[in-house]
Amino acid sequence: MQTTKISLIATLFALLVITGCSSSAQVQVERKFPTVVSKPKAVSASIIFNDEFKAYVATPNKNTSIDIGSAQTILLSNAFKGLFDNIEFISSEDQVSFENALVITPSVQEVQVSTPSDTYLNVYEVWIKYSLDIQTSKGDQIDNWFMPAYGKTPDSFMLSKTNAIEEAAVIALRDAGAKLLLDFYRIPSIYNWLIRERRRGDEQ
Amino acid sequence: MKKLILLFSMAGLLAGCGATTSIDEYRPSNSIMEINSDESVVILGRRDAGHYDTDREFISCVSGKMKGADIGVVPEQQFIDSIYPWFEPRTAPKGLKRLTRLMQDPDIKSQVDMQKIRYLVWLDGSTETDNQGGSISCAIGPGGGGCFGFAQWEKSSVYEAIVWDLKDFSEKGRLRVDSAGTSYLIGAVAPIPLLTPVKKDACSSLGKQLKKFFTVQDQME
Repeated sequence: MQTTKISLIATLFALLVITGCSSSAQVQVERKFPTVVSKPKAVSASIIFNDEFKAYVATPNKNTSIDIGSAQTILLSNAFKGLFDNIEFISSEDQVSFENALVITPSVQEVQVSTPSDTYLNVYEVWIKYSLDIQTSKGDQIDNWFMPAYGKTPDSFMLSKTNAIEEAAVIALRDAGAKLLLDFYRIPSIYNWLIRERRRGDEQ
Repeated sequence: MKKLILLFSMAGLLAGCGATTSIDEYRPSNSIMEINSDESVVILGRRDAGHYDTDREFISCVSGKMKGADIGVVPEQQFIDSIYPWFEPRTAPKGLKRLTRLMQDPDIKSQVDMQKIRYLVWLDGSTETDNQGGSISCAIGPGGGGCFGFAQWEKSSVYEAIVWDLKDFSEKGRLRVDSAGTSYLIGAVAPIPLLTPVKKDACSSLGKQLKKFFTVQDQME
């Protein structure tokens, strides 16, 4: 009787250890992001966050899923506020209310994850590839800007795979905000559109 | 007698677990650092290298060691968040020229002034494990369990600190710490770890030296 009990405990313990070694990770990114320090330009913009974007869950591989929908919506809303002084956030194109404005629809193209077991590096990495469809409020296409973001975090001894991927995803999202603020007005087509709009404003 | 031999051998083993740490310091001038009691310093980690990340744990360890210096220490994340996104890995200034340009932005400058930050300390480096050897195996069964074998590994920490003055946008000094040591794991039924605190040693050496940077000389003596 005593031996059966010990065997049962040993089996349960072994099962627990094996389950603990499972390599799947379901990550929910829930962080607060800081407000951007940036002076917005006198430009109007309608930002379309559709339902797919707001509830986006990435599955970079069969064992990993990262829910970044709400976090990316908060972060990009914040970043766009640092670019445009007149801004509206809408969920579809038919809700655009501005006349001379940019209409921007962000979408996620791909999310990639790499772990120390993949790369033999002591870091967890997350890549988020965004695409920004940029049009005028009249429907003219200006650009389709590819915006990659990257985040990595050290592999800490006590950090679980889930926590490490979440940390790397947060850094990647912050990087997306930084890239947007740094590079948006450097896009040649946006720069040219701004000049054209200014000229048209001066002529009127 | 047996007890004495055992005691000596244990002491010998533990003594073998000490890290070797060296620290180099460079300052452009021997003048004492200008410090105001209400001014602060922020210690930031460089995170733009491809294969490593200056970890936050090390940064907060060094910040902790700085406590007691004649200058306050602002937490890294608080500073980075306060001027988001200008100190992210992608945007952080790598040189004084870029820092000067960044500080010309009134919004960024006001955030820095509000926190009364006078000095930025950039920490760059990592702790690596190499030369792993030996093997240890553990087994568990209904009759009991245990670990048998011997494993060893070497750790080395290399970190560099660069001090920037935000008043005149100049470099005030550089510190470099190298720390190395070997750790052992002995499996004699129970696993006995004999760990060398390489990173901890690097942190306390760097922290102490940095503290000297920001402490008025006569108070140190």
